[in-house]
Formats: sequence, structure tokens, C-alpha cells
Amino acid sequence: MRKFYLPVAIAVLLLAFWFSSDAQEIAAGVAIFLFGMIMLEDGFRLFGGGTLERLLERATGSTPKSILFGIFSTTVLQSSSLVSVITIGFLSAGLIPLISGIGIIFGANIGTTTGAWLVAGFGLKVKIAAYAMPMIALSIILVFQQSKLIRGIGYALGGLGFLFLGIHHMKEGFDAFKDQIDLARFALPGAIGLIVYTLLGTIATVIMQSSHATMVLILTALAAGQITYENALALAIGANIGTTITAIIGSLGANFQGKRLALAHLVFNSVTAAVALVFIIPLREAVDFVSATVGIAAGDFAMKLAVFHTIFNVLGVVLMLPLLQRLIGFIEHRIVEPVPDVSQPYYLNDAVDEFPQTMESALRKEVLHLYDNAVELILKGLNLDRERVLEADSIAETVRKSRTLIEVDIDEEYERRVKTLYSAIVDFTTRAGDKRAAPEYADRIYNLRDVSSKIVQTVKSIKHLRKNIVAYTTRSQGTATDLYDGLRTEIARIIAEIRKLSLTEPEDRSTLWLDQERVQIEQDSRSTAEQVDRLIREGKLTPQAATSFLNDSAYAYSAMRDLIEVARNYYIEPDDAMAEVERLLTLEDEELDEVFSDSDAPIAPSRDNGVTKASSNIGRVE
Amino acid sequence: MGLKKLASKLSEYNERLEHGKAHKIKVVHVEKILSKLRGKASDLESEIASTKNDDKKARLKQKLKTATEQVRRAEWMLDKIS
Repeated sequence: MRKFYLPVAIAVLLLAFWFSSDAQEIAAGVAIFLFGMIMLEDGFRLFGGGTLERLLERATGSTPKSILFGIFSTTVLQSSSLVSVITIGFLSAGLIPLISGIGIIFGANIGTTTGAWLVAGFGLKVKIAAYAMPMIALSIILVFQQSKLIRGIGYALGGLGFLFLGIHHMKEGFDAFKDQIDLARFALPGAIGLIVYTLLGTIATVIMQSSHATMVLILTALAAGQITYENALALAIGANIGTTITAIIGSLGANFQGKRLALAHLVFNSVTAAVALVFIIPLREAVDFVSATVGIAAGDFAMKLAVFHTIFNVLGVVLMLPLLQRLIGFIEHRIVEPVPDVSQPYYLNDAVDEFPQTMESALRKEVLHLYDNAVELILKGLNLDRERVLEADSIAETVRKSRTLIEVDIDEEYERRVKTLYSAIVDFTTRAGDKRAAPEYADRIYNLRDVSSKIVQTVKSIKHLRKNIVAYTTRSQGTATDLYDGLRTEIARIIAEIRKLSLTEPEDRSTLWLDQERVQIEQDSRSTAEQVDRLIREGKLTPQAATSFLNDSAYAYSAMRDLIEVARNYYIEPDDAMAEVERLLTLEDEELDEVFSDSDAPIAPSRDNGVTKASSNIGRVE
Repeated sequence: MGLKKLASKLSEYNERLEHGKAHKIKVVHVEKILSKLRGKASDLESEIASTKNDDKKARLKQKLKTATEQVRRAEWMLDKIS
């Protein structure tokens, strides 16, 4: 079906152009208007990089706040479709809950009525082309500037200019068109007429993907006498249904939450439209009353249409608010949350890709998802149960008691749960970097990619250990088992410390705490080497066995250092100046030795694994 | 433990700052980090006091030593920044 859409649309347009040059002006007006919307959207995208994201997070703490934010953002952006698609992006990224998303959509439906006021108030009475031209001319100067903010303002200004220019051309087209086409012929008496025009409004908005553009068409056709006031009301109702198409299209690439929001939008707008159609007569009377009260002339149908648009959208929100929880229940029942597949990216999807504001946050969550998968696999690879280790009072004791083989095909699990996610992250960061991001934003994105790379490296190191871990930790074999238990304990401790850091409130934690682990790792690494030397001298370990163990311990300490680097870069201070302080205060590798050598007394062996008290069994380490 | 390395990093930071390639560090930034480090040191002291396992206690003492060193470095930096 979709493959016919483009040729059919082009054929219809060409046919219309063949028969009427005025159709060209209207179509060009619509095209310029939509182009303006695209420019406006591009302009706002350039404002991204965290500001909008932080605003949204703060602004959606409660339903009233979400509604207010929807009203405000749609008034500023002049596009409920854009707000709904951004909201889908945020929902997909897991930044806001569904209830906040629906609140924003409710607010957007009220905010979008400001467009009708603007068009009715200025679009048909002011020579808007006079504003459009200077705006477009000025915008192009700004668009070529280096500063991202100024370029964003340029795009937004140009977008507004094109919106105004589009309105002007549509108006001109309809003015000339009114003698040739009689839109009134679609008019049918009673309810059928209302339904026909509602459908026409829906179809027009679906085609133009902008209820604003439809409102302009309605107002211009109304002003040109092509349609009656009643037809216009029905068209406006239809436009409210049609405007959900952008969200529906936007949700196609989104996860289940994004789809739920698009369905909520459709249900809300359809119910509002149905209520408006059923109560069209009292609504019309209310419009007349309000118009008379605020001094709008009885014959000023453009302004009255704006009043109608506002009343029925506000009414829709007032009616649906008490039913919000039921609406959520219905939607959650219709679109069931899929059973999570840990091997697939949770947060990186097409909807997030569309908006840079959501990218960094989604990427951070996906990297954490990768880390979770990796930790699960690392601990299984070490024959350790994650829950038991992380809940343990004494990790060394828990490790000593972990002698049951945990069945895991580490290579297969690595491919399925680690490599797949890592590939998605690399692909995503590459695309994110292509979007002319600000250097600081790009640095943060690439830092997260490097964090992912280190996570993968850690798992690879553990893969090397797996064979001997299985051989020496599923039953006690004396010295070798003690040595491997030591490595397992140290890795588990690092993972537990990182977890502790992650659970601490960001304002209370510092990545400098990890230096304490770094000192410990170097100390443990040195004492392990000394211990192996001693065991060889005492004849408790063969040189061959020692070589195998030292190879494995090199991988183990490499994994520990990588884990620390992962945590240090992931949990780095978000404030640039604070991050700079942390970087300056971080101990350099050679300083770790100084802290270690300044110790009052050597603490080795610190792994509490019993090696010093080990039996004299000679472990054959492969 | 000397502070030569930290002094050299701070001097390199000042150069970067002059060329507009670093973020300006204010006293409040160092104070916040210092407060986090002191908080950690205090937590470690409490943990040491309540731990009975000798080995764990020894590890915690080593950590406290590092934490104390970090506090000293941050205090030195605060003095230089002020």
C-alpha cells in the first residue's frame, strides 16, 4: 500500500496543477508551510544537548505539571505533533512514565489551540508575507554561524518565516480558487454532513501531517466563503483526530511505551472529537456566548473557530482527566509489555535516534544494561551467584563456599548478551556523532562508547579464566583452589564496590573513592606474585602451574582495572568543573605505589582466602 | 607521600585554562569534592570500628589511609585555588 502512496500523491498533484494554476498556489503554500515546520523542528533540535531533557525531567513530576508543560511547549513550538513525537522519544528512553507522557499530550492538545488563535488573529488580517520575508532573510545569516545556539535560532526563525509565507500563499490560492471550486457541495444536511466534514478534516491533516496547516486551510476556505461555519467546526474536529498520525508514525520505531502513548493520543483525541460532535449544538452556543462576552463580532467566524477549538480541547482534557487511570489501564491491557530480552537493546531505538535530547540519556541506560549483562556473565564465569555475592557479609567466605558448578556457555552468552548490545551501542554512537554535535556532547557520547568497550574487554578477560575456574573451584584442590578463590574474591569485591557507588546518591558520591580500590588492586597484584614465588620456592607449586596461574591472574587483574575504569568514566561528575577537580585529584599509577609503600605495615595477603594457611597440596594449574 | 605530581597537574590545568581549554574550577567545586571525601573517610572509620574480622579490618584501614591521603590532596588543592 505504501509503495503506491508516493506515485498516487504526485499524480493527483500534477493533475490538479494541470487543471488549475490556483491549486499550485495552495499546494505550494502547504509545502512552504510544512518546510517551515521542518526548519523549526531542526532549529529546536539544535537547542538540544541536555537542556530540553533536563527541563522535561523536571517538568513532568506530576500530572498537572505534565499538562502545563504540554501547553507551554506546544505554544512555544507551535506543533503538538512535534511535542508528541519528542514525548514518545522520552518515553522510549525511559525518562518519563506513561502517565507523564499522557499528561503532556493532554497539555499539547490545549497548547495547539494557540495556533488557531495566531492564525485567526494574525494570519488572515495581517500582511504576514511582510513579516515572513525579513525573517527568512535574517535567518539565513544566522544559519551560517558557527555557534550551535545561533544556528538553532536561525533555523527556528527561518521556520517561522516559512510558516508565515506558506499561510500567505494558501490564502492567496484560496482567494482565487473560491469561484472555481464549491466546497459546499460536500455539505450534507444534519449529522451526515458533520461526519463527512470531520472525515475530510482528518484526511487533510493526515496528508499534511499538521493540524495547524489544516486549521489554516479551514480558516482561509471559511474566509473565502468556500465552506460554512458548521463545516469548519466539523473540519476542526476532524483535524484533531488526524493530528495523531504523526505520533502514530513516530511510534512505529518506538518501544511498547511509545506505542502506548500514540494509542493514548488517538483514543483521547477520538473521544474528544466524538464528544464534540455529539454536543456540537451546545458547544456552538457556548462559543457564541464566549465570543460575545470577549467582544468577538458575530460574523468573525475565524476567531469563533479559534474559540471553538479551544473550548472543545479544554473540554476534552477536563472530561478525560478523571478517567486517566482507566485510560492507562486500557492501554496497558491493549499493548502488553514484552518480556524483556536481555540480549536486545532496551533503550536505543529509532524514536530515540530522532531526537538528540534523548540520545545521551538512552545511551547511558543502555551502557548500564550492557554492564549488568556483563557482570552477570563475569560472576557466572567465576562460578559465583550474583545475588549471593552482592548480598554477602563476607565476600571471601561466600566465594569459599561457592563450589557448585554454574553451567554457562560463556562464549555463546558473550555473543548473545554482550556483543549484540555492544554492536548496537557502537552503531548508535557513530550515528549520534554524525549529527553535528557540540564537542562536549560528542565527548560524552564517545566516553560512553569507550566505557562499553572496556566492559567488553572485561568479559573477554574472564573468558580466559573460565577453564581453570571450572577445574579448580568446583572442588577444593588445595593451593591452586586457594589462589583462584583469591582472584574470584578480588573481582567480586570490585563489583560489589562499584554497586555500592552506583547506589549512592550522585550528590554524595565521588569517583575518587575508586582510587581506594585501585591501591588495593595493585597491592593484591604484588602480594599474589610474591605469594606464587614463595609457593614455588617451598615446592608447593610447580613452575609450570605457576606460569598458568600467573597468566590467569594477569587477565584477572586486567579485568579488575578495566572494571574500575568503567565505573570511573561512567560515574564521572556531570558538572564539568567538578569532573576537572576529580581528574586532577585522581591518583596517577605511580602514586598508587606511593600510597601503598607509605603503609605502616604490609597487609598481604589481604584476600582472606587462606593461602598462607594452605595445605601443601601442589595444584596442577593448566 | 609527595604532592609533586598533583602540583604539576594543577600547573598543566592552569595552562589549559589560559588557553580556554579547561573549565574554571571554583572554591565551591573543590569544597564539594572534599566534603564527599571526608564523608567516605568517616564511613570507613565507622566500618572499621564495627568490623570484627581482622582481615577485613586491615583492608578497611588501607582504604582509610588512601581516603585520608585524598583528603590531604584536596585540602592542598583548595588552598591553591583559594
